[in-house]
Amino acid sequence: MLGQVLFGGLAVGSIYGLVALGFAVIFKGTEVFNFAQGMFVVCGAYLAVTAMSVLGLPFFAGAVFIVCAAALLGVLIHALLIQPLSGRPMLSVIMITIALCIVLRALIEMIFGSAGRPLSTPLPSGVITLGSLRISKLHLTAMLVSWVCMGGFGAFFRFTPIGLLMRATADGHEAAVVSGINVNLMNRLAWAIGSVLAAVGGLFLGQLQIVSTELESIGLLALPAVVIGGMQSIPGAIVGGLLVGLVEQLAASYVSPKSSDIFIYGLLLLILMFRPWGLFGQRELGRV
Amino acid sequence: MIKNSNSADHVSPIHSSVEGRDNMSHMARNVRWALAIVALLYLPVVLTDRAIFGIPLSNAQLLNLSLTQINLMLIAMMGALSLNFLTGCAGLISIGHAALYAVGAMTAATAGTLWGWPFTLVLLAAGVTGASAGFLAGLPSLRVRGLYFVLSTMALHYIVMYAFLEYQFKFFDVVGIPFKNASLGSFELSTPLRWYGFLLLLTVLVFWGLRNTLRSREGQALTAMRDHELAATSLGVNVRTLRLKAFMLSSAIASVAGALYAYYLTNVTSESFGIGFAIEFIAMIIVGGMGSLGGSLVGAALWLLLPSIINLIASQANETTGLVHLVLVDHKAQLVQLIFGLLVVVLLIFAPDGLAGLSKQWQKRKRNTDSSASAHKGEA
Repeated sequence: MLGQVLFGGLAVGSIYGLVALGFAVIFKGTEVFNFAQGMFVVCGAYLAVTAMSVLGLPFFAGAVFIVCAAALLGVLIHALLIQPLSGRPMLSVIMITIALCIVLRALIEMIFGSAGRPLSTPLPSGVITLGSLRISKLHLTAMLVSWVCMGGFGAFFRFTPIGLLMRATADGHEAAVVSGINVNLMNRLAWAIGSVLAAVGGLFLGQLQIVSTELESIGLLALPAVVIGGMQSIPGAIVGGLLVGLVEQLAASYVSPKSSDIFIYGLLLLILMFRPWGLFGQRELGRV
Repeated sequence: MIKNSNSADHVSPIHSSVEGRDNMSHMARNVRWALAIVALLYLPVVLTDRAIFGIPLSNAQLLNLSLTQINLMLIAMMGALSLNFLTGCAGLISIGHAALYAVGAMTAATAGTLWGWPFTLVLLAAGVTGASAGFLAGLPSLRVRGLYFVLSTMALHYIVMYAFLEYQFKFFDVVGIPFKNASLGSFELSTPLRWYGFLLLLTVLVFWGLRNTLRSREGQALTAMRDHELAATSLGVNVRTLRLKAFMLSSAIASVAGALYAYYLTNVTSESFGIGFAIEFIAMIIVGGMGSLGGSLVGAALWLLLPSIINLIASQANETTGLVHLVLVDHKAQLVQLIFGLLVVVLLIFAPDGLAGLSKQWQKRKRNTDSSASAHKGEA
């Protein structure tokens, strides 16, 4: 029983980690606290519905479609909403991501209706039995894909020239501008990556549950994940995601199905009170 | 010449004209206040008689409004005022205002429905529990700043919503929590008109109280903290306790508004207070203007009038078919959200101070053209 729950927690947690990683890339790169990350997850799920059910694309073409469309969405949002606000106080920028949630939700419900939709993809479903452990193939796939994505982006940031430029931009905008880096392009890339990661998360979450705009609150779990891990830390986001997934599954199985929120957000409050820079983050210093 | 109108050689004529204008604007302001009061008192008559000064109005001209919608608007205005005080004036974003409404509703259910306390006492109790919830959720804000505060209010939202659900199922059932008729002593709030009077009074009280708070020493410190936290600290402002106090005051008002909301609807469920509800309040204050108390009133009014306006257009477009019909009639709720969301986005990009900021700009421009005209006159 415990093994079962832990595995489920790790699987769901990997998806949260993926979404949280997207959030962290945007936050580190452009210093925008993207409240719409939950809505990006919903967008990803509906893009999957569009690709699979409406357009009837084969799976790989569908996956390419989802990634391209999500990247385009991220780029568009950065160009239309975030860039015009550069230099404005943090308050306005958070507000615009909140307004974005309203707009995206309304648009999605206008196009697809407000009732939930099932999402079926050719991804393997069914159960593998390993001793007493029953492992859902979908969970396993979600976990593997999440880890491949996280590893892939980790390597991208670490080893490629563009990844280096992006890290440089995140470390210091002015220094990056002085060194001749096209900062706008890097920021746009960060938004594209953040949106794509959320969309991949949405693809799996939509399949594990049902696709509706209610997925937003599940996507928003990326926020506590990021804060628990540490806002400035990429590995922190992943660990935070895993932790949130584990807490959720443990609470749902041992306490009550609906109690997971209270444990996750209770943990968030504790972290905010005693270690606001998160498990892996660095202490922020105020400068006069 | 226009900008520094008190330059030495023009002191006397311009100075006197400025003074005269000040007197004028003072009078104009008093007249405006008086007109507003008369209009507010006359509004229920218009809405019940469906006529203004004896001239009958059609339903369409009145946007199908009834006093009930106006009352809900007044309750929303209290919520928007409390949020704008917190976000616009103290610089703290809260997405926990739906939860604070829920706290108020829960308190009202416990004290009013279960224990049978009188209505006024229930409202007081809602204020106290709201302030306590604000205190608890605000505790992390003693450690963390700006950005993280959003997260602690988000935590407040989800924790309260869980508590609300448990509470609802423990003491009531799926149908929701019922509320008794409200009465102030022997004066029963049984008609929309009576509610209107009571809510109007409360809204004016909240507005007036918050405005005076902002003008007080602590209110000024609050604004200083919003504008530059470190500078405020160096001037001896204790930002931590100030932040906590501001959040407690805002929470108390939101909680009272929540209790009123619950009593007015006579039945609420946990679904009445989703995160979307909290986001709507944020949208209202952006549209109205962050930091402007009057703006929050405008924002809340616009948010609640927009559905009626869309309804009106939809009823005209009933005959047309195709996409327009589909969007207007079948997706009315989403259309309202979309328009309001886009309005928020456009205002944030082009007029970050909202409608209040726009009107201030417009007045300034008008004054500038006025003063340049009078300056020309002085030269002639």
